[in-house]
Amino acid sequence: MSWKNIKLIFIKELVGTIRDKRTIIAMIIIPLIFYPLLFTGIGYFSKVGSMKSEEANSKIMIYGAEFAPQLVKHLQDSEKIEILIMEEDFSNKLQNGDIQAVLAIPSDFKYKIEQEEPIKLILKYDTTEAKSRIAQKRVNQVIEEYKSEIILQRLSRLDLKEEFLTPLILQEENMATAEKITGSFLAVLLPYLIIILIFAGAMHTAVDITAGEKERGTIATLLVSQISRLEIVLGKCFAVMLISFTSMVLGLLGLTLAFLSGASIAGGIEGMNFGISINTIFLLFLVLFPLVGLASAVLVMVGIFARNIREASSYITPMYMLTVFLGVISISQGMELTGKMFLVPILNSSFVFKELLMGKIYWDHILTTFSANTVIAGFALLGATRLFSKEEVLFRS
Amino acid sequence: MIQVEELTKIFNDKKRGEVIAVNNLKFNCRKGQVFGLLGPNGAGKTTTLRILATMILPTKGKIMVNGLDVVKHAAKVRSQIGFLSSETGLYDRFTPRETVMFFGRINGMEDKVIKKRTAEIFHNLEMEDFQDVRVNKLSTGMKQKLSIARSIIHNPPVLILDEPTVGLDIITARTVIEYVKRFRDQGKCIIYSTHIMREAEKLCDVIAIIHHGNLVAKGTLKELKKNSSSDDLEEIFFELINQGENLE
Repeated sequence: MSWKNIKLIFIKELVGTIRDKRTIIAMIIIPLIFYPLLFTGIGYFSKVGSMKSEEANSKIMIYGAEFAPQLVKHLQDSEKIEILIMEEDFSNKLQNGDIQAVLAIPSDFKYKIEQEEPIKLILKYDTTEAKSRIAQKRVNQVIEEYKSEIILQRLSRLDLKEEFLTPLILQEENMATAEKITGSFLAVLLPYLIIILIFAGAMHTAVDITAGEKERGTIATLLVSQISRLEIVLGKCFAVMLISFTSMVLGLLGLTLAFLSGASIAGGIEGMNFGISINTIFLLFLVLFPLVGLASAVLVMVGIFARNIREASSYITPMYMLTVFLGVISISQGMELTGKMFLVPILNSSFVFKELLMGKIYWDHILTTFSANTVIAGFALLGATRLFSKEEVLFRS
Repeated sequence: MIQVEELTKIFNDKKRGEVIAVNNLKFNCRKGQVFGLLGPNGAGKTTTLRILATMILPTKGKIMVNGLDVVKHAAKVRSQIGFLSSETGLYDRFTPRETVMFFGRINGMEDKVIKKRTAEIFHNLEMEDFQDVRVNKLSTGMKQKLSIARSIIHNPPVLILDEPTVGLDIITARTVIEYVKRFRDQGKCIIYSTHIMREAEKLCDVIAIIHHGNLVAKGTLKELKKNSSSDDLEEIFFELINQGENLE
């Protein structure tokens, strides 16, 4: 085996891939330009939308205003609430957005207040409309204030203090470190994203340089050269690994940029304090590399087996869906893997990523995952090389 | 230079069972000779050439290329051959210069030697004008010139050409044939498969007609004509094939 030959194939595949416009679009333009622009746009429009909704007065119709003049006064005094005269077609007006809420006050309001009985007020609003939701909050706030006033009056009548209502006070203190807070935030999505980006990044290149070569008829030229089948497979696999890893890094970078730009426009991120230790990053990479190798080797093997790009894609689609499924499992809160489950590729990596991001270092999990993925990647490479030596696979039509 | 003895290739097909693609083939090809393999599609030409080029293994028989056994010394045999067929495509995203450099390198040549030889080949094949244009921008004729350049960059003494004019226009096909003649004059041993009678007539020093994997006849054009009632290669071809089918 000659590293010089492997390097020749590696560089050839890399140059070919980089010169492919589709790669540039998928690897650079989409994650680094499209995602941030998209998120910035979404952030901008949601900000503008919510500002407009917040600024506008909430138009509210009150049914039975005459039964609770004091409450109505409270509502009228509220800065952003505008009371309108009750009309018959209030339902239509609410649907059309002409008014944001309707408050119904029962006729026995005064009597029940005096009798110290609970009074049922009905607030009609539309949860699908932002302005209506804001109106609901505003009305609720006024009612809460009015309610507190009534309670205070009743307490004073009974000669009781306000503290009478709060016999216990629970003070909560969050002991999680910044690292852990960041980790728990990242641990939800990051493992899933890493796995998906690795597979998505490897897929196109792996298929293009295997099944694609068969389809274009360029594979025969390699087979009659001085390079061995193992060198060809390794060169191709290393190229896919690099492309896959770079795609993942650029994808994460793009998503981070997108998230930050979108979130900062929409109002900033509160309480976020990013902190991942060097050790964690090192261990993440330790688990990452066999996973990248595994994905690349398996995809190269499938690509070599397939007759053409179309066939390769049809084999890879269910594999990709399985990967997504295993990735999704890692998102599920409260799900824990037992010892042997760390032998299952993809699933093992996603859980170890999750643990590492939460600041938990379980060496048995890390080593099992590393070994299992490395061994499976090795078998996939051997399988790919064997397939590459089988004439019935290379020349089937 | 090339000795083929009792070459047999059997494929195992899931639907059809055992398929004999090549049956007991025997022929020799000398230095400075164009040996034509003439036969219809499915005759076994491509299979024979793939075995000669070490791409697939024979089921039985012995094949020596320049004194080397294709099974035992496959890697060394590959250094002795240039292979060109309609299926040996080119990399669209590379230029002719890059393509030839890559194939020179994977054939173990030093960069300095590749550059010198590339300049010679590009000059001879009149490729200088498009040597830095990406392959996807080249015409069919230009691409075929590049395919030839790619297959001879390592100056192999043996050329295996599997229907190299398939899909080419008449002018490009003629150019290819001229180059094959030139390579023969340079002393290369050339195996040339075709199903085009005119090409075989014009180019091949020895013609082997194969049908259903069997060698039906072999000889110079003159010898084939002598043993036939017709003077036309196409007529001779059909006569021999019909005879072969009657025997089967």
